[in-house]
Amino acid sequence: MSFLLPTSVEENLMNITKPDPQENTLLVGFPSNGLVGTFSISYLIHHLKMKYVGEIDVKDLPAALFVEEGKILGPIRVYNKKNIFIVISEVPFNQYLAEGFAYAAHKFCQKNGIKKIIIVSGMGSINQSKETLKLYGLVTDQILENILYNNEIPKFLEGNIFGVDAAIISVFRKLKIPVLILYAECHPFFPDPEASIIAIETLAKILDVQIETQDIQNRMDKLRIQYRNLMEETIRTLQHNQEQGTRAPQIYR
Amino acid sequence: MRNNDFEFKMTLPFMTPILDDIEQRSLSPLSSLREYENYWMVEFDLPMVGSENINVIFNQNTITVEAKLKETYSEEKLGKITKFEYFKKSVSLPGKIDSKKITSKFEKGRLEIKIPKKIDGTSIKIN
Repeated sequence: MSFLLPTSVEENLMNITKPDPQENTLLVGFPSNGLVGTFSISYLIHHLKMKYVGEIDVKDLPAALFVEEGKILGPIRVYNKKNIFIVISEVPFNQYLAEGFAYAAHKFCQKNGIKKIIIVSGMGSINQSKETLKLYGLVTDQILENILYNNEIPKFLEGNIFGVDAAIISVFRKLKIPVLILYAECHPFFPDPEASIIAIETLAKILDVQIETQDIQNRMDKLRIQYRNLMEETIRTLQHNQEQGTRAPQIYR
Repeated sequence: MRNNDFEFKMTLPFMTPILDDIEQRSLSPLSSLREYENYWMVEFDLPMVGSENINVIFNQNTITVEAKLKETYSEEKLGKITKFEYFKKSVSLPGKIDSKKITSKFEKGRLEIKIPKKIDGTSIKIN
């Protein structure tokens, strides 16, 4: 994998503080392109045997409950194991809900001494490279540049981010909590467990944990069938965002 | 590197609702319809399917895809198991098309059908 950090950033790396690998980290996943966040974060919860510790309430979230082994669960749940916290949403957000979600997640970080957030999402690409799917990283704070460098994650250098991802990143930037966003190249409109495997492997490296991906590899086709409804609902929410939202002007080059 | 295709820069496709047919044991695949300048692109997500078991029927302005699954797919809800053996879905195209020039490819369980638009009309002279 090629490493695309520009020289100037590499030079700057010498002067920045290294993030402490043992400090509390929050991983965030919600339905977006390819359902990459949903697949990879769920897989981590399952494989790291993380403990359900609570739920996050977001104002105006559509009424939805999930029942698992007779237990009623809310749509945005929190899991924990050692210094890793996870917040996962089972429902797609519109832009307004996304902001509310980001503020609620930030409050959770403050209460639990969480110093950095990692968001896993999909980068919808119609012209996916046939052989190798790629994953890009984007950081809101220089302190996290080292994670990209140490794990050979190419940096998302140029492009536009709209909608839900932009709303969430903007809130975290404003509140000055360092965020690393992992964007796995994926199919834009269909569930893409294959792209999620790349995200899982990258997360495992960053968190320095062992995660076997054979299980998800064996179930990839079935997951694509199983998650059709959530994918359709996610695209519908994204469409609604696009109809309502304003588009940022293109930067002339 | 420029991540030009990223997320909402692309026009989101038209997605039709998922309606599985329990009696016919057929699943409704996810599909997307995108419009380009000279053609339509219809895509179907067909996991658990081999290319030899896909049947595409074109009639008027409707494309129907039928595909047999490699193995039976089972879903369990409230203790009841439902089994599916096929994918089946029809997609209507909103404009005139050139049915003789349709092309398709099947890769990673995704069927792409490229349907050229029929362009007829008269050119207008500009003075």
